[in-house]
Amino acid sequence: MRRVWFIRGLRKGVLTERENRVFNWSTSLEGSGEVKCPTDAIRNGWDSSKCIFCRRCYPSYKPTGDFRIAQVRRSESTFKRSFHLYPIDVGSCGGCNHELKLISSPQYDLTRFGIFFTNTPRHADAILVMGVVSPRMREALLRAYEAMPEPKLVIALGTCAASGRLFGDPVERYIGVDVMVPGCPPNPLTILDALIKAKGGKGV
Amino acid sequence: MGRGLCLYEEVLVREDCWPLSRGGERGYGDFRFSYGPSAGGLLESVGVDLLTSGELVKELTVDPGFKEREVKVKGKSLEDALLLVERINVPFSFSHSLAFSTAVEEAVDLEPPRGLKFSRIVALELERIRNHLFVIARLTEAASLGVPSYHLYYLVEEVNRVIDARCGHRYFVGSGGPLKMECNFADLRLGKVEEEFKEIFSGLQETRIFVDRLQDNGRLIETEWVTGPAARASGLKLDARKEWDSLPYSDLGFQVQVGEEGDALGRFIVRGEEVLESLRLISSASREAQGGSGEVPSSGEGEGLGRVESPSGDLAYYLRLNRGSVEEVALLPPSLLNLISFSLSMRGNVFTDFQFNWESFGIWISEVGVKFA
Repeated sequence: MRRVWFIRGLRKGVLTERENRVFNWSTSLEGSGEVKCPTDAIRNGWDSSKCIFCRRCYPSYKPTGDFRIAQVRRSESTFKRSFHLYPIDVGSCGGCNHELKLISSPQYDLTRFGIFFTNTPRHADAILVMGVVSPRMREALLRAYEAMPEPKLVIALGTCAASGRLFGDPVERYIGVDVMVPGCPPNPLTILDALIKAKGGKGV
Repeated sequence: MGRGLCLYEEVLVREDCWPLSRGGERGYGDFRFSYGPSAGGLLESVGVDLLTSGELVKELTVDPGFKEREVKVKGKSLEDALLLVERINVPFSFSHSLAFSTAVEEAVDLEPPRGLKFSRIVALELERIRNHLFVIARLTEAASLGVPSYHLYYLVEEVNRVIDARCGHRYFVGSGGPLKMECNFADLRLGKVEEEFKEIFSGLQETRIFVDRLQDNGRLIETEWVTGPAARASGLKLDARKEWDSLPYSDLGFQVQVGEEGDALGRFIVRGEEVLESLRLISSASREAQGGSGEVPSSGEGEGLGRVESPSGDLAYYLRLNRGSVEEVALLPPSLLNLISFSLSMRGNVFTDFQFNWESFGIWISEVGVKFA
């Protein structure tokens, strides 16, 4: 095996998928009736940015399978061909970090869309924030944001970053958010769809 | 962290929980170098302080408090508390949920049905497989071995899809609870994952550039502060699956995987062997696994301790209930012990060993940076 890693790679062929999978409890919810929602996500309709997909509203509300639930307030077409992201964890449970890592897996392969990770905010087009803003990460977040060149986007990944809800302060309290990616945690397709739209594309 | 209610194995003490730093003498030419809290290569935010004279690491201190979250569980109902507990560390969501649920069941003296216990074993082992695949993928990525790392991430995603299909959520969130298991593990087969993993695992053990980065890296001399695969790789036969009888592992012929080397290579090998053992356990346990949902008294009182072998080691919750609400809670997360061991094991290593050694412990900061309120 030691001589043939690249042959194994060739032998496995293309693993990237053309068809999108459906992961139910991180897609949009539809339904009606009185429910006891612990985060007030269901009140006069469903607010995706507050939903933690805890299933307490089931069966009054059910997942539709539509993973395109990101809210894109501003996109930047300058990044259409090359979009570099600086992820920063300001107080996450590790779930968003895990799912973000998996958009690199062969099933999704973010690089085919011209999306890459960078290790420094100096080279970043967008800062991708995960978790509620903990007191000691506030300065690191603001300094990373300041270090980024213009134009730049702020992406709040997951319900904690988007609305705080169960654990604390959302990102919006400290810097303006351009893209909100709901989910607890958001699944890789939702993340990928949001990133493509953020750089001016049509999504997955 | 800090002064609070500390859970040490089965002892509760009110003091400064766990020493993460033992200081460090600064000699001629030594200087301190800070890394983090947000830095490329790290999956989570963590502060690292190194005492060095150049390439050699003389002392290393880890500060897991940058992303500390306040978890407000006290006074909450069990249902609301569980909502928070399973989000303390989502990659180990089922382990946290199960340890908490077991503590509840002990506090109010409830015994889950046997089929439900087997269902818990399957879920716990699926979480372990996913985690170990992820840790090994991170190790291969650090060595710039693109093919195995991408193929391992492929397997991680496949396991996530199995969990989603069987339990409705990719991380078991909302699937477990006291006397509750909402998963269907009937006819669960993971033959393709096993076949692919065996090929990658044996290939990595023959890949010199990979083995060289791990061998003698982060060898544990002091094994006082260690748990999980890191402990077992140092020859310690510690495993809550053997020591704690809340789940019927003994009926499945479970074997603890132990190594002797105590370095990052040993930890990698133990994790690989544990993946294969977990696959075997799942194939046996899934035959008897049954979901279910039982009633927990809404005004239950008492105290209980729940302990599980999470993917990174011994995870325990102490819980005191008053009229069905959480009055007191304490958590022993495995990542805290492993952080101490990691810090000690870095002494005498060089900078470039850092990432391999760090990943080999499988530490999640999210379960350490937690303050209950």
